[in-house]
Amino acid sequence: MTAEHEAHPSPAQYWKIAALLAILTAFEVALYYIDQALGLGTLNALMLISLALLKFVIVVGWYMHLRFENAIPSRFFTAGAILAVALYLVVLSALGAVVIRG
Amino acid sequence: MSDVAHDTPVAHHDDHESTGIGNRKLGMWVFLSSEFMFFGALIANYLLYSNRGGFAGTYPAEIYDIPFTSVSSFVLLMSSLTMVLAHNALSNGDQNGARTWLFATAALGAVFLGGQVFEFTEFITQYGMTLSTNPAASAFYLLTGFHGTHVAVGVIMLLSLWGISRRTGGLSEKHGMSLELVGLYWHFVDIIWIVIFTVVYLLSVPPT
Repeated sequence: MTAEHEAHPSPAQYWKIAALLAILTAFEVALYYIDQALGLGTLNALMLISLALLKFVIVVGWYMHLRFENAIPSRFFTAGAILAVALYLVVLSALGAVVIRG
Repeated sequence: MSDVAHDTPVAHHDDHESTGIGNRKLGMWVFLSSEFMFFGALIANYLLYSNRGGFAGTYPAEIYDIPFTSVSSFVLLMSSLTMVLAHNALSNGDQNGARTWLFATAALGAVFLGGQVFEFTEFITQYGMTLSTNPAASAFYLLTGFHGTHVAVGVIMLLSLWGISRRTGGLSEKHGMSLELVGLYWHFVDIIWIVIFTVVYLLSVPPT
């Protein structure tokens, strides 16, 4: 067996990851309402983006098994994501339209 | 690779080239990587118009139903769990388990799509926000509509695999690889929704 397949999580671990994702989602929604009540502003935006990024990394790493693959798909995928974010941030900045609550 | 992996459908026996990864699988990763550009354009388009004032009609951010969308998001998130459990079951030679989890994934995807249809219907009938109401509404429907289309394509692929498995009594090694590729696609659709849920629903504000 290659290291790739030995390292795949077990079903029990998949359930734990799902529970973690559910908790993170609940926390995101809670933050939305906390912001509605308290007006956290930029802090809220930063926390929500961080939580989304964390969920993104968990799904890609564990459910898509990218952390168990060799470097090539990882490079393609990461490069695609980074290029897209960079390109559209430049576009939105140039148009003065980066929208963050606060 | 272990004996178990050799005997089971998901044995990753795709044509390996010098890359060390099967051609079909690498192709799927490259395709998904290119999809970032596609959805990035749609998300950027939404961000460009969502808080730009001066247009007539209802803005999407004024009428979002966050509790409802949160449940939809949870459903789609859990479909990633059932998808990976289907893959795991097939890896262990459990054809019945794989079939069950495949169907569960398709069903959760269908529930998500039903939620989206309900949301769009509410927006149109209750608030009069159609595709042509204003640029913000157009951008919203374009983004979430294309995502929904991706989910629908995923559901069709999942049901196709489920049907093949039912008809033939189990998925062959070739179809095992197909399941893995559909799984990658499905998880990708999920991560795009993670971004949409945060950026479009939770962070979006209507113009003041």
